[in-house]
Amino acid sequence: MIIASDDEDELDNSTSSSPKTFKSSSKSSRKNSPKRIAKVEPPVPSLQLSTSTSKRPSEDIINSKDIEDSSTLSEDISDQIPEGYRDSDSEPDVSVSEIAEIAKLPHELANKCPFGPTWKKGQPIPYSSLTNVFETIEGTTKRLEIISYCADFFLSVLRGNPQALTKVTYLFINRLGPDYEGIELGLGESIILKAIAESTGRTLAQLKLSYKEEGDLGTVAQISRSTQSTMFKPQALSVDNVFNDLKAIATSTGSASQTKKANIIQRMLTSCQGNEAKFLIRSLEGKLRIGLAEKTVLIALSQAFVSWESENSGKKFPSVSIVKGEELIRDAFCQVPNYGVIIDTMIKYGIFGLPDHCTVSTGVPLKPMLAKPTHAISEILDRFQGEEFTCEYKYDGERAQIHMLENGEIHVYSRNTENMSQKYPDIVEAVKVFNKPDTKSFIIDCEAVAWDQETKKILPFQVLSTRKRKDVETGNIKIRVCVFGFDILYFNGRSLLRSSLKERREVLKSAFQEVEGIFSFAKYVDSSFLEDIQVFLDKSVEDSCEGLMVKMLNGVESGYEPSKRSRNWLKLKKDYIEGGVGDSIDLVVLGAYHGKGKRTSVYGGYLLGCYNPETEEYETACKVGTGFSDADLESLYAKLHPTEIDRPRSYFVYNSASNTQPDVWFDPTMVWEVKTADLSISPIYTAAASFVGKNGKGVSLRFPRFIRIRDDKDVTDSTSSEQIAEFYSSQVNI
Amino acid sequence: MLEAKLEQAALLKRIVDSIRDIVQDCNFECSESGLSLQAMDNSHIALVSLLLGKDGFTDYRCDRSISLGVNVGALTKILKCGGNDDVLTLRAEDKPSVLSVMFEDSIQDRISEYNLKLMDVDQEHMGIPDTEYSASVTMPTAEFQRIARDLHTLSDSVEIDVNKEGITFSCDGDIGAGSIVLKPSSNIDRPEQSINVEIVEPVTLSFNLKYLNHFCKASGLSNQVTLRLSGEAPLLVEYKLPNGFIRFFLAPKIGDDEEA
Repeated sequence: MIIASDDEDELDNSTSSSPKTFKSSSKSSRKNSPKRIAKVEPPVPSLQLSTSTSKRPSEDIINSKDIEDSSTLSEDISDQIPEGYRDSDSEPDVSVSEIAEIAKLPHELANKCPFGPTWKKGQPIPYSSLTNVFETIEGTTKRLEIISYCADFFLSVLRGNPQALTKVTYLFINRLGPDYEGIELGLGESIILKAIAESTGRTLAQLKLSYKEEGDLGTVAQISRSTQSTMFKPQALSVDNVFNDLKAIATSTGSASQTKKANIIQRMLTSCQGNEAKFLIRSLEGKLRIGLAEKTVLIALSQAFVSWESENSGKKFPSVSIVKGEELIRDAFCQVPNYGVIIDTMIKYGIFGLPDHCTVSTGVPLKPMLAKPTHAISEILDRFQGEEFTCEYKYDGERAQIHMLENGEIHVYSRNTENMSQKYPDIVEAVKVFNKPDTKSFIIDCEAVAWDQETKKILPFQVLSTRKRKDVETGNIKIRVCVFGFDILYFNGRSLLRSSLKERREVLKSAFQEVEGIFSFAKYVDSSFLEDIQVFLDKSVEDSCEGLMVKMLNGVESGYEPSKRSRNWLKLKKDYIEGGVGDSIDLVVLGAYHGKGKRTSVYGGYLLGCYNPETEEYETACKVGTGFSDADLESLYAKLHPTEIDRPRSYFVYNSASNTQPDVWFDPTMVWEVKTADLSISPIYTAAASFVGKNGKGVSLRFPRFIRIRDDKDVTDSTSSEQIAEFYSSQVNI
Repeated sequence: MLEAKLEQAALLKRIVDSIRDIVQDCNFECSESGLSLQAMDNSHIALVSLLLGKDGFTDYRCDRSISLGVNVGALTKILKCGGNDDVLTLRAEDKPSVLSVMFEDSIQDRISEYNLKLMDVDQEHMGIPDTEYSASVTMPTAEFQRIARDLHTLSDSVEIDVNKEGITFSCDGDIGAGSIVLKPSSNIDRPEQSINVEIVEPVTLSFNLKYLNHFCKASGLSNQVTLRLSGEAPLLVEYKLPNGFIRFFLAPKIGDDEEA
């Protein structure tokens, strides 16, 4: 038995950042009295000292040899040692003294080889091993390094516990399941703050203060020195329980679900050690912010699988196969955007079995193909020189992917592969109407557009966006939609992804029939003359469309490429050509939001408003957060900070109920020029409400962008409410 | 097979009431010697330890030790269905999936029976340390309850100071400060009103009042409550039961928050 009690102090020091526990606090009392806090004999017969760790071999050794100091010590060790080191079976040569050595340096160890520790087959993966990888990734901006960290970690997961890889992957990309299942955490800051407050004993006010300083709740949670000691040190978190707890939070509904969620968070936070709290909180917030793109995760997965397979088969794969594997995973993911399915398939059939076992199927939405923007017809002609291409109307609605399963079930999915069947029960019903009898199963790509039944005309997107999102009943729908189908990806059991657009269009026409106001084929023109396209473009705008989609019609390149922003599809939007609302708008800065992340310590976004000379009031118009350079942000902060006021002026007109209220208000001193895509009616903003007259709703700017400060304008010279109202009503389509 | 009969349902009702704010799911351990429970709150700040010896029951039979994983909220709902003076019988099989709770109202000859679905509660057993406490104070439960309640209106935490003079509870909050001093006293006619202070060395510790107020829900179970304190060890709040105890442990607050 080599572990001396001196070691124990060091062990404790290494965890000094963690909340004081019953155990460690007992140490001081031991100085006074000979009693030990965790005695081997339980005081009450039925209460055994047997934490779940006691069955581990290493501890057994200690227990049997050194009853005196064993329980405190062994518990300390088991808290510290990465799981893998505890298995005397897998690593019989690790002596207890080495365990102690390792236990002393968990952090140094982690930095040297963050993913070194392998855990025995079937053993749960400690959450800390995951957060250590996160920490390392956060510390670098080099993509190749990040990839290799991820790949190493995935590989060690594969070696030890392949079943856990799906959960690990989801934690890496910070999601809880495929998008189309729609499981989201949706936690507000306040509930997280509350949980941190509960588990650290700090007050909300203190937390908010340090949140303002740090700009990151995760860091706040990590540095929040606990003023509340705990009883026994909770069991270390494992990837499994973290994932399951997160899922439990996301899926708990109904009364008292907020309390339930807070309780789970609190329980997890209490078990957190070191950097675990930081990343756990970030996961809860829904943003890891470690510079890890999903793409990177895919590449890392590919690398890990290629190495794993070569380990298992003893074959060496050429390095090209990593690139190939990456493509395969990406392809598979486009067709089946579900990591669980893909990873399971790869474990079962290998990464090169993906194309055969992971293909398009109804009921699993695939990522839609996207188009590249262009600014002039001439660009299109350049791109498609000598090729056959087609121009389609670009309808201004919501992209929808309609699936019909063999069993007749119908699902509607959004652009982001979320299930929208709830939102569009009318589309689900409409399928029966436009579907031809021989069509048994299909996936079509289409645009759902608001439709005026009386004038038989398309309505603008803003109208569509006022539709209810949940619990829509077909009987109560006020805004009808018409589906404009433009592509078919799957028909009667056959994938059409690799067929040419011309062929797909034929299938589409043969499978469905047009029904006015319910289903139409997208209008198109096959012409390669500039004049024709120009005429067609103008016509599309007249017909309330956004512009044109220009697509490759024939040949290999005209296949459907899920999720790719392909150069085989180009979009030509009217506002790309005109450049949005012709004039820019000059607005007054009324308030600001505290910056987070990169924008910590400056304002992250601003609330702008317009001046209404009639009432002499300022009315809010939008929140702007883009168009600023880092230097802008700093100088604006310096200029605006002194003008902060405690409460909004009485002559500010804003929506007091909404949570878009800024963190700070300013005395109106500055006018900014902003550009906007267009103007829309908003319940949150109050600009021009008296002119537009829609139940007190105002006009807001969509996608506003900061251009410059208008020093030459006084705050009362800003664009007036009346002008905003004019801009709004002069927009086409309204 | 477990079969345990209580003359009055009120006892179990009060016990469950007193822990339900602290613990959501827990295991009731039934063994030959009686019924016990040990559970911590989510934040691992407080621990409840309950022992109800077999002699506390009118009838008690338990052939083999079993664990009953119970959702405390659900158990509360079922216990609300019985009257305080009903005779209560708990029954469970050896590998139970349900706990049967029967109420017998002898006056009205009414028998009601409920089955509570059990669950797997993942719980580690904690060896409760056998601390030698520096100070031990016994006082009427009503007094303790009142102190906890009154001080909670001012602040979230209370400082408990025990010395030879007596015990002082004090707090400092946003709206003001308050303190209560209790001196040792003995009341021969009504011993339950006595305040008894035993002390090895003076102790001063701070605790979260929210939890102390949760503990006070157990006031109906006993006339007297004992607080034991020591160094930086958890506070022990003990209520004696006819044949057992309910003990609450509360980890102290540590350090001063300099921003406070």
